[in-house]
Amino acid sequence: MLKKIDKNVYASKCPKCGHLHYPAPMRCHECKERRDPSKTVFADFEKVPLRGTCKLLTFTRVYALPDGYDLKYMNFGLVEFENGIRAAGQIMTDDLKLGMPLIAKTGVVKEVIGKDIYGLQFYPCE
Amino acid sequence: MRNVGIVGIGHIKFGKLEFELVDIMAWTALEAMKDAGIENGIDQVFVSNMGGGIINRQCGIASALVSNLNLEPAMAELVENGPASGSSAVKLGYMAIASGLANVVLVTGGETMRSLNGWQATDFVATLLHPEAEYNYGLTLPAFAGMFTRLYMEKYGLTEQHLAMISVKNHDNAALNPFAHVRLPVTLEAIYGNPDANVINPYMAEPLRIYDMCPVSDGAASLILCNMDIANRFRKKPIRIAGIGQATDTHCVHNRKDPLELTAVKGASEKAYKMAGIGPKEISFAELHDAFSILEVAESEEIGLFERGKAKNAIELGETRVTGRIPINSSGGLKAKGHPVGATGVSQIHELVKQLRREAEPGRQVKEPNYGLAINFGGHAEEN
Ligand SMILES: [Zn+2]
Repeated sequence: MLKKIDKNVYASKCPKCGHLHYPAPMRCHECKERRDPSKTVFADFEKVPLRGTCKLLTFTRVYALPDGYDLKYMNFGLVEFENGIRAAGQIMTDDLKLGMPLIAKTGVVKEVIGKDIYGLQFYPCE
Repeated sequence: MRNVGIVGIGHIKFGKLEFELVDIMAWTALEAMKDAGIENGIDQVFVSNMGGGIINRQCGIASALVSNLNLEPAMAELVENGPASGSSAVKLGYMAIASGLANVVLVTGGETMRSLNGWQATDFVATLLHPEAEYNYGLTLPAFAGMFTRLYMEKYGLTEQHLAMISVKNHDNAALNPFAHVRLPVTLEAIYGNPDANVINPYMAEPLRIYDMCPVSDGAASLILCNMDIANRFRKKPIRIAGIGQATDTHCVHNRKDPLELTAVKGASEKAYKMAGIGPKEISFAELHDAFSILEVAESEEIGLFERGKAKNAIELGETRVTGRIPINSSGGLKAKGHPVGATGVSQIHELVKQLRREAEPGRQVKEPNYGLAINFGGHAEEN
């Protein structure tokens, strides 16, 4: 059976208090409501796509890269989204400044044999 | 709770070792037993190691070590807690004796990482990151350390020169330590502030350079812990464990409220100070977890040796050198002594004991040490 690849990265929202988490824990860090993947006892946490504008908190350029990345270097950063969620990801520009606005999109962050792994990539605002 | 002392220490020279993991562990265990003056009578063995299953494809290392040393039927467990495995094993040894479950404990930490190439070693340690939210991006511990350093420099005015000075200090100390991996002193001029320095000391994870990072090492270290009530049975005078503390922080670095705060380091040190009934002012010297030079700076502030943002002044004044007011990493630290991950926490305590016994080599013996403190952590400051 073929399954469409979900390229999104999600924050997970507590159905009881609305607190957002990334990545998803098995209980709410705010009100301690439990997540239930089977949905038989509790409503599972709602998935909220992580995308749109964010602020660059810090960054680095790494020269010793993992096998499979055929590049001289890569830029990584920590960002904060407008909803307060923070995340790490790859930065797709060399022109970097602390606090600059970025746009979060999703793309292939890693290729393993037979599978593309999607994740957050941050681009400069147009 | 019973008091716990350390009566035996053993260490192998870190570097590239041509022996099996369990054999190098066993060698240091025998050194520690010899130091304590015992052949047998060990109730419990704690082994710290992170990569046996991944690197050596060997599990159940604790029982293997007991058997290698003919210590049966001693109780034995493996402790895996990332690069903090060593201090966790010491903590469990302390607990076993304090609780009355054991009188004599062997703690052995070891790791063989040199069979991996540089990237594989970085990748192995990166397996402790969050598998989806961090690891999948190609993020590594050096990347997180680089991001931390950039923020720290921005906020407190620390410079690459300060970091290079730490590296020079730790190389100087390691040059006098027979167990250190890298025993070549390095000058500030060679690694900082000239065009050649960019070649010798290139960026790895900006603003961190290669001399800001620990090497990949094989190594092992051992300790004999005992109930203080029976400490006079051993050859050496005991060094008492006055306080011990541990704490954790969020798995994902991005979920820390202030990315510059190492709250686990702070929490663990507060617990240890409280148990010992002392404060930072009583500390004579410290072994800090400088897998990256910036961590020596940040940890020294979190544990109260310096005010936040002020460690750089101490570096400028040479206060953290062996001859200074508060020597840090007299062993050479992870930076130059080496960082065989599972061995590191045990090796740090080995150094504290050696210094407190006044047994350190000439030139790196701390003056009149009274209390030594060690910080061993895993990941980007998750455990201590
Ligand atoms: Zn909730």
